[in-house]
Amino acid sequence: MKLGVIMSDYRTGSDVIDRLTAEKLGIIFVGNGVYHAASKEAGKASSILDKTNNLYVLTEDLESRGLTSANLDSRVKAITYSDVVDLIFNDYEKTIWL
Amino acid sequence: MGKLTIGCFSSLVGSLSLDFSIKLAEAAVAKGHTVDYWMSGNATMLSKKGQKAFKDYSHLAKPVQTLLATGKFNITACEACAAARGYHKEDTMEGVKSFSMDWYLASTFEADRVLHIGGD
Repeated sequence: MKLGVIMSDYRTGSDVIDRLTAEKLGIIFVGNGVYHAASKEAGKASSILDKTNNLYVLTEDLESRGLTSANLDSRVKAITYSDVVDLIFNDYEKTIWL
Repeated sequence: MGKLTIGCFSSLVGSLSLDFSIKLAEAAVAKGHTVDYWMSGNATMLSKKGQKAFKDYSHLAKPVQTLLATGKFNITACEACAAARGYHKEDTMEGVKSFSMDWYLASTFEADRVLHIGGD
């Protein structure tokens, strides 16, 4: 199954991601989940970024936290709400919220 | 064009997930999709009429009314959740429906895509 995950938190949800298996996995960081895409702890990027090559972050939520695309890990693509709609309809059969 | 059903089971007005879900609905409708939007639990507060806009505070009543005017957006509150919180038919924003959870289940079965935002 092609599975999209909307990840809205920074401190929770990683354990669920670890248990997911999908033919294609995509992760969209929104809300406080954007810190996975734009911050490091002890010099290390979030381990969530190693789960798939299909990584996205909602630009509006990134910018509302004082961050920009310059802060992003190079593996993550910045997208709009319109892009999220396209991902839900065109790229993934199921979408879950974490 | 498809149909997206969003179920929001959490979140008082002012919360991040409620804001996200309405902005997602706006984007989907703008692209020509139809959206069914279900409010459960504390999310039923969004159905309350008389919400006042304050500077720098989330105000979703207006976007909901704009979405309703498109004819591509249906929004329904869990009637038991609303009544349990003291919101009755006379307290509900115009255009917002009130039904049991059967409405949500039927919508998810008909939808092309479903996004279920769980409780907090």
